[in-house]
Amino acid sequence: MTDITQSMSRRVLENADDARPEGIYPPTEEMLDEPVDPELRKAQEERLRAVWAEPPGWRYWSAVNNSEVGAWYSLTAFAFMLAAGLLALLMRVQLAVPENDFLSADTFNQFFTMHGSAMMFLFAVPMFEAISILLLPAFLGARDMPFPRLSAYGYWSFLIGGIFVLSSVLFGIAPDSGWFMYPPLATESEGPGSDIWLLGLSFIEVASIAAAVELIVGVIKCRPPGMRINLMPLYAWYVLVVGGMILFAFPPLIAGDFLFEMQRSFDWPFFDPERGGDPLLWQHLFWIFGHPEVYIIFLPSIAIAAMVIPTAARRPIMGYNWIVLSAVGTGFLSFGLWVHHMFTTGLPSLSLGFFSAASEAVVIPTGVQIFAFVATLMVGRVRMIQPMLWIAGAVAIFTAGGLTGIMIALAPFDWQVHDTYFIVAHLHYTLFGGMIFPIIGGVYYFYPFFAKKKMSDRLGRWSFWLTFTGFNLCFLPMHLTGLKGMPRRVFTYPGDIGWDWLNMVSTIGAFVVASGILVFAYDLLRPKSRQPLTERNPWGGGTLEWAHDIPDPGWGSRSVPYITSRYPLWDQPKLLERMDAGRFYIPDAPEGLRETIVTSAVDAVPQHVARITGPAWCTIWAAVFTGGAFIFPTFHMYPPAIVCGILAIACVIYWLWTSTALVPEKPMKDAGLGLRLPTYVSGPRAPGWWGVFITMLGDATAFASLIFGVFFYWTARPDFPPENAVHADPAFAGLAAAAFAASWAATRIARGVNRSGNVLTARLLLGAAPLLGIAGATALVLAVWWPGLEPATHVYPAMMWALVVWTCAHVGAGVIMQGYCLAGSIFGKLTPRYDADLWNTTLFWHFLVVTCLITAAMIGILPRML
Amino acid sequence: MAGSRRRAGRDPLNVGRVLPAVLIAILLGGCSGVQSVLDPAGRDAEVLARLFWWMLGGAVILWVLMNGLLVYVSRIDTRPLSARAAEWLIIGGGIVFPTVVLAGLLSFALSEMPEQRAPGSGLTVSVTGESWWWRVEYLPDGAETPVVSANEIRLPVGRRSEITLNAHRVIHSFWIPALGGKTDMIPGRETRMSLEPTRAGEFRGQCAEFCGESHALMALGAVVMDEDAFAAWLEKEAAPAVPPESDAARRGQAVFNAEGCGACHAVRGTAASGRVGPDLTHVGGRVSLAAGILPMTAEALMRWIRDPEAIKPGAMMPGYDHLSDDDLSALAAYLEGLT
Amino acid sequence: MLGPRESSLWHMISAPTIWALHFCVVYGWTASVCARGPDPAAARLGIGIATAVALLGIAVVGWRAWRQWDYLDDYDYEHDGPSVEDRREFLGHAGWLLAIVSAIGVIFVGMPALFIETCL
Repeated sequence: MTDITQSMSRRVLENADDARPEGIYPPTEEMLDEPVDPELRKAQEERLRAVWAEPPGWRYWSAVNNSEVGAWYSLTAFAFMLAAGLLALLMRVQLAVPENDFLSADTFNQFFTMHGSAMMFLFAVPMFEAISILLLPAFLGARDMPFPRLSAYGYWSFLIGGIFVLSSVLFGIAPDSGWFMYPPLATESEGPGSDIWLLGLSFIEVASIAAAVELIVGVIKCRPPGMRINLMPLYAWYVLVVGGMILFAFPPLIAGDFLFEMQRSFDWPFFDPERGGDPLLWQHLFWIFGHPEVYIIFLPSIAIAAMVIPTAARRPIMGYNWIVLSAVGTGFLSFGLWVHHMFTTGLPSLSLGFFSAASEAVVIPTGVQIFAFVATLMVGRVRMIQPMLWIAGAVAIFTAGGLTGIMIALAPFDWQVHDTYFIVAHLHYTLFGGMIFPIIGGVYYFYPFFAKKKMSDRLGRWSFWLTFTGFNLCFLPMHLTGLKGMPRRVFTYPGDIGWDWLNMVSTIGAFVVASGILVFAYDLLRPKSRQPLTERNPWGGGTLEWAHDIPDPGWGSRSVPYITSRYPLWDQPKLLERMDAGRFYIPDAPEGLRETIVTSAVDAVPQHVARITGPAWCTIWAAVFTGGAFIFPTFHMYPPAIVCGILAIACVIYWLWTSTALVPEKPMKDAGLGLRLPTYVSGPRAPGWWGVFITMLGDATAFASLIFGVFFYWTARPDFPPENAVHADPAFAGLAAAAFAASWAATRIARGVNRSGNVLTARLLLGAAPLLGIAGATALVLAVWWPGLEPATHVYPAMMWALVVWTCAHVGAGVIMQGYCLAGSIFGKLTPRYDADLWNTTLFWHFLVVTCLITAAMIGILPRML
Repeated sequence: MAGSRRRAGRDPLNVGRVLPAVLIAILLGGCSGVQSVLDPAGRDAEVLARLFWWMLGGAVILWVLMNGLLVYVSRIDTRPLSARAAEWLIIGGGIVFPTVVLAGLLSFALSEMPEQRAPGSGLTVSVTGESWWWRVEYLPDGAETPVVSANEIRLPVGRRSEITLNAHRVIHSFWIPALGGKTDMIPGRETRMSLEPTRAGEFRGQCAEFCGESHALMALGAVVMDEDAFAAWLEKEAAPAVPPESDAARRGQAVFNAEGCGACHAVRGTAASGRVGPDLTHVGGRVSLAAGILPMTAEALMRWIRDPEAIKPGAMMPGYDHLSDDDLSALAAYLEGLT
Repeated sequence: MLGPRESSLWHMISAPTIWALHFCVVYGWTASVCARGPDPAAARLGIGIATAVALLGIAVVGWRAWRQWDYLDDYDYEHDGPSVEDRREFLGHAGWLLAIVSAIGVIFVGMPALFIETCL
């Protein structure tokens, strides 16, 4: 390899202000060659080990480190998958013969609803996040995720919500309206089933979004120095794309859940046609989420393939840029497909045409992806390692699912096979090929990374061939079952239509699949204490995760390396040796704090040494109380829900106050290799700022979905708004807008004057801002309450109230943040130099003021123009 | 990076032998059936079945090429090939080929959509989805009042008929695979479709959108008739019910009246005028009972009336298990006679 | 935050963003015209205009990305080096490829207007 340092302009970083890095970057070859004193190395290792040690005994469960949380998260998701798979087996028993009475209609309906819901919400998406939390820091040579306590909070929320939702099946009160929960069936459904679905899964969706925010920030801010965007492992690209998709796909569903629950709890008629509502709005919001969801599941699994294939082919991936194109392109196009789940709803042919076209167009990037893999295998010298077998099986199954996907993307053909077993076959081909097989392949591949042992090659082959054969035996005949007219979601069928033998074959196949998955589960979970540790990098991979030492001392990367290649372990000689010696960045923990390095988004120039949070119980308490706030309303127990909500907020505030944006003991620290980095940054250089920015993008999407709802009703319903409708009061709406704008301005100005040292003025502004916010919220409520808009009478007043409730809830959060900054200023946590909280609050208010002004205009001005 | 070249272990199960066997079995199983997409009896279904066979052929070829290549480069000949060729594979296979093929398929599908949704002429049939049965109303050109029926749809052959769709409480989907695609029935929005049968015969349709507990038990008979036969049938269907002829049937009518069946069911020409349940004016002339799930026989009628819940869980109709077998069989005789 | 074009992810994704905007415009326009408007021809005309504008936009973006890729200077398409130049050309290449796919997407999405004349 040529010395790249020649071509780069090395600069000595100047100390422009005290939050800028200073010293030498990038490091020279001489600096990297300099040996580390063995005494020093030992002392450093001692300190690092102490800092990154797991809490002992029962305190283990307070751990927040990505390797613990990621492992719990994956195993929990896997357990939920086995439960959902068991439901599928019971359904297959019921369908084995015609007119069977093994399961009652009601039980069957609960089972298929839970099978779909659990596979999607409790397995597929969480599994991606779990695996990413587990692996991403290692791919990036980072010590941990940027917000470890947020991962832990997400995990505990997921566990509580998942157990709550799944256990409803045991009591026979599970949701029974299908995983898509179409109203009016689901809104009218008796019993708590629909509420369990809505509230339980909303809770998990919030956790999913939290994880997505963390993963995006991880990819853009926590790469090792030198790992420019063109050198990122492909997995990181996929995480970036999928994180972005979650951010834009989940919020519409959350907005839909919000409307749905308002109808269930307070009889606001969003989906009731008798009072101006429309059941189709739910379908739109659900599938705007639901289709990208499919790609949210598929892309990360393909990402695993993108990591395995170069190792199996023993060469870098072919067409890296093409794969980036296809990941980004698929991410975009997948948002233009949602109506292909609604081809039969009688929308105008022209509208269906757009979605049909986009559904075909998305084949192109998906195909590019697969062809890039085949091309890599062509150019490489392939060894059929165990994980590669699963990847090859995945390609075989996925291409079949993709080809039927091309068929059903044509609207007229879909009119025939929609909601039949043809679709059941298609979707399982895409999900097994696009998710199950790559994930299992990934588990075989990465098992030596996280468990330091190997899984059994022999059991692996048994498991593969059982699963592969059983899968095709189960699902291939279903194409024909569907073409012969059998609809989905039927608990029984007559014996004289020619569906009986096909169903029997499918049932047998299902049991073969189950045996294959059980062999895998056994291989995964069987005790391996007598088995020797594997060697380091057993597959000969080229990416940074294989740099982890065996046995793993817990710190992840001994030192964070300087990267100059896509496959550093192949291309950068002496990399491993220097990492182990602690030659690279942050090799020490003299302050006894957990740290990781933060770099710039595109070129990965070091910017900051971030102090990250350690073990804590407050995250578990926060998750428990958040769970209470979501679970109690399911049974219409509102007072305990409110108490839980307040306690959850209190826990979160405690957690933030005690462990984030702490004033550091010194402004700069030596990061190694002659580079001094700030220990505290605020604004766009801080990961926290990015976290808020990304969260608010998702939040803005949810709000946009509500606005879409208003326009949807306007196009779909002639009586929106109804004639002689009572409109909101424009004067109050105007007053609210003015108060919100003033509150925002006060916050923004407070940030400026605080920075310039005028702390007293900043405190006065921060004291006035929450009062203005509360005044605005009051005026906004009055704008709809004063003229007497009755939300239960018609969808128009209900929609106006929904916008007001949404906005006021956000203003509540904004006011708490302003108060937090004021308290921070008074108690010395927020100073003119250390003002990250104020930056983040201001950013939140930038988004909030837009929401507020749009709401005021939507209720005060727009209805008079429609 | 060296690593030994390892051959794959022996496959515990030989997929190469199992798969073709399954495929052949499926092909032999045939594609016919009263509810089969691949056994079309309508213009739209014929076009779509033909489209399917073409697409299936193309898909099989592409699948074999793709996976054949994969097996070849990973198991048969693992020597590295040129990077240039691989690059062209990505461009040709990933971009150029799919763009051309998909544009062709899309053009065909788009041009087919207005054809299949063309307005019907002559006859409009209005179908309303109930839980779990179908309210059917025929409105020939120029007619003022509809001819009311239930759970069965009859259409003339060789002509495109307009079908308007409504739903009472929840979403359903109207689908007769042999004739054409499905369209959802959505409360609060009237949707429409049209069907052009090309072959007379009896077919079966079924609700395709999950609609609650007994979604699986919501089918309907579909009868395609010659133009003349259809006109004669419609005329008969429009007429009031025939009076009961046998003694048993007369007694059955008395039971019908005494039990208050007329509160929910209409029998035109009698006092029974309920609108909640299916119209029974010509119930005995239908091909099936209880929305396509029982044969139209006296025995099935008795079973149904005695305990609808046992046959269709969640059905609105109450059970009449307090009636004696005698009364039940009289009632069945009466209903069966309503042809 | 956008930063200079050659080092910005936001610029790399501008072509698919145009695709997304085009999609929203034609979908919203068609829904409005078919629900409230008098003439389906207006819907088709609107789709045609939106498609032409979007293709023009993608052409401009694609041309800039092509220039940034600067393929013809060294016929390099790997861009796996650690230099600023590699990163710049990589973002150009990815942007160029995305422009191609976005253009295909826009043309596909505009096609229904050629075949479907009514709002039925």
